[in-house]
Amino acid sequence: MVSSIAQDTRLALPKGKMLSRTAGFLSDIGLGFEDYTSKTRIYRMRSQTMPSLSAKMLNERDIPVQVAIGNYDFGICTSDWLQELHARYPASNVVKVCDLDYAKAGIYLACARDATFSVDTLRDSDTAVCIVTEYPALAEAAAYKMRLKKFRIFPLWGSAEAYLPENADLAIVSSADEGGLAALNLRSVKKIGDSSACIIASRESLQTADFSRILALFTSALKSGGKSRAETTKSSAVITNDYVPVAADGNIWLALADGHQQVHTAAFLEKAGIKMTGYSKDDMRRRPASSLDGVNIKVIRPQDMPQQVANGNFDVAVTGRDWLLDHLYQFPSSPVVELVNLGFGRVRVVAVVSEDVPADSIEDIRDLIQRGDLTPLRIASEYVNIADKYLRDRHIARYRVIPTWGATEVYLPEDADMLIENTETGQTLARHRLKIIDTLFESTACLIANRQSLISPKKRNKIEKLVKIFRGTSG
Amino acid sequence: METQRCKGARDLLAEDMERFRQVEDAFRNSCINWGYREIKTPTLEYIHLFTAAGTLTPAMLSRVYSFLDWDGWGGERVVLRPDGTIPVARLYSENLTGAKIARLCYVTNVFAFEETGKENREKWQCGVELLGDGNPTSEAEIIALALEVLNTLGISRIALKLSHAGVLKALVAELKLSAEEKANLLDEILEGNWQALSRVNSNKKISATISAIMNLKGKSGSFLLNLMAMPEISGSLKKELEKFAKVAGLLDTLGYRYEIDFTSIKGFEYYTGLCFKIRAGNTRVCSGGRYDNLVSLVGGSNVPACGFALYLDELAARVKPWSRQKAEKTVIVRTETTGTTAIKEAFKLSGALRNAGLIAELDFRGSQLDSRWEVTVQEKKQGYMVKDKTKNLPKKAADVNEVINIIGGFGKVGK
Repeated sequence: MVSSIAQDTRLALPKGKMLSRTAGFLSDIGLGFEDYTSKTRIYRMRSQTMPSLSAKMLNERDIPVQVAIGNYDFGICTSDWLQELHARYPASNVVKVCDLDYAKAGIYLACARDATFSVDTLRDSDTAVCIVTEYPALAEAAAYKMRLKKFRIFPLWGSAEAYLPENADLAIVSSADEGGLAALNLRSVKKIGDSSACIIASRESLQTADFSRILALFTSALKSGGKSRAETTKSSAVITNDYVPVAADGNIWLALADGHQQVHTAAFLEKAGIKMTGYSKDDMRRRPASSLDGVNIKVIRPQDMPQQVANGNFDVAVTGRDWLLDHLYQFPSSPVVELVNLGFGRVRVVAVVSEDVPADSIEDIRDLIQRGDLTPLRIASEYVNIADKYLRDRHIARYRVIPTWGATEVYLPEDADMLIENTETGQTLARHRLKIIDTLFESTACLIANRQSLISPKKRNKIEKLVKIFRGTSG
Repeated sequence: METQRCKGARDLLAEDMERFRQVEDAFRNSCINWGYREIKTPTLEYIHLFTAAGTLTPAMLSRVYSFLDWDGWGGERVVLRPDGTIPVARLYSENLTGAKIARLCYVTNVFAFEETGKENREKWQCGVELLGDGNPTSEAEIIALALEVLNTLGISRIALKLSHAGVLKALVAELKLSAEEKANLLDEILEGNWQALSRVNSNKKISATISAIMNLKGKSGSFLLNLMAMPEISGSLKKELEKFAKVAGLLDTLGYRYEIDFTSIKGFEYYTGLCFKIRAGNTRVCSGGRYDNLVSLVGGSNVPACGFALYLDELAARVKPWSRQKAEKTVIVRTETTGTTAIKEAFKLSGALRNAGLIAELDFRGSQLDSRWEVTVQEKKQGYMVKDKTKNLPKKAADVNEVINIIGGFGKVGK
């Protein structure tokens, strides 16, 4: 059989904290991309030295999935995400080519620093062990392996360390070493794996086309021993995770956002006349103090808030209506309700296609599918449950929702046919030659609560007080 | 045409179902005759039922179909039943604790992911559980019952293999490993990797005994008595071998032939005592054993129990379908015209034929072929034309009784 020389080689490169070191690695092996910088607004790049090689920048966590479904021949990511994919889908169409010599870390099953858990006590525990993690599949495999009798896993978008010890027993986290865990106020119960930057490839690509030239370049780096690649950009400021037991029984727990929404939330609280300590850029704590009476505060990801309110870890939270709806579509009888529309953080959640698609509405898309085009329809979205319900309700016969972890606009048109995405002004979408064909709903920040907390005699008054302050401010 | 069917899923066509029902009927009849009562458990269960130590191995758990239910915000996953016995243990502990002895049987599907999608991900089993009896007579009873079903079905080249989880666990305990090493070793063995045992053991005195246990195949209970006399057999190991010898001796007395092969145990770790499997040629068609800890592991009291599962898919492939017998008894009822009087007459006739123990199939479009008999309602001449396709000699009949007489007269059809 004549081997076919690969005409076009597609490479997925990580955004975010691995970007600068990966750019350094690529330029060392002679595969540098001029636009591969954190400042770039260009997501599609072509190699100067190897014109057949094109690259796109994706969220690191999405790269194994994208290579597995065949959108890319190669990808660079940390191997923890590859292990997570393989733990859930052992038959995934993605293989590791080689490890690289940077971004080395351990994957730890950790507990709070002062907790007394060990593998043996966990195995014998008759009560459910609660595990929070960004790696739910690895957590499940670890729980099976340890023979936990009863366990619950809460998948998270991030900030796992914040949940211990009040809201969870264990977290599965990636950390450079045990010292890194200690900085998060955690302690290793068991190291469950190692991780480092690595090159991954689509099995299908390796089996069918000739990629020997680029593979030789990749492996040349290993022979030379590789330079140590120090973290050049300072990693995003660590949020202090001090734990002080809170004795006050009957206090309510309020969750506030970290990340992008933190600035807006802090501004709103200031406007409401609430004084905060430890909730500003210069001084960020997982458990900030406030001038509110009887309220304990914790800082977590807004995406994780609805489920954490539903399961009773928090009584109230400031999150987006988009994330509330995503949660309610997954769990229609969830006890979470919206209490106050806070008005800030206004976005529209929209259905988006490439300008080249001959469709101006979801009905047009359905017609295209019926004619045999666009089938199955591939939808990339951070809002997996919103996307799923939207397509189900519109009787789209065959579709696939590809979960993503942000920066979804880069997926069109090659890696997906449609997006369910939020937009403030629509300008980013327009710049990427995308058009909105439907608006699903408008989302703003809102105060959500657990229905059980609202009828609890101990908590009701405190929540009502908070609602009054927030209503007065949002108006 | 591209198939719309899920990967690893299977349609059971009419002929498949005829084979299935034949196995199920033989199974149910035997069970009822031995005093077992049929039950059914739900398809969905909470996953913790299967994760408790001593239920399913991590390798099996990594292939279950689990998901968060619509009200699963609490983080507890549900699972499509991956095993038949564990839900029955739960059913017993929740509903039948007052019963001294429960003899239960069921026909159920179990779900496990299989990577290639070429094998079935949904499989069927006929299961029997005998709960509340710790005597070796109960193992002998369920083995006899399983063999009876296989015999009724005419399954050939049957071979019974015995092993013993109690002996195996006592043997591993002899190695004095840490709790984690022990769990890992048991997992490996349960997944069929017996080499793991000799690897751990390379420098210990007990290795000759382990090697004898692993490599020799016994043909009678005497083999176990020989093992008990081997060097380095501890008290606890001897106790388990004794239990095994009791069951084996009983089977000898009852005249059942078997082979003792310790390495034949694989997969389920909830067994505590005797384990057995039955092969038909090279295919495993049945496995079972004693599981005295399971009921307490799923929240019940300490109840000794044993049971087995017959693999319905494998057995169905080995029995003859009914189609041929069915064609003998099938009468196609036709009409010359499609007028209402003729149709009414055809319904009346076919009802009478069914009452006479025949299969009557209405055919107003003249497309059915697979039958021996054909009756045509003759609207104008006020009568019936009866055709025996094996003889090609149509006979006239004036009324329904005459039709039945003709068919009864020609064929060997009972009532």
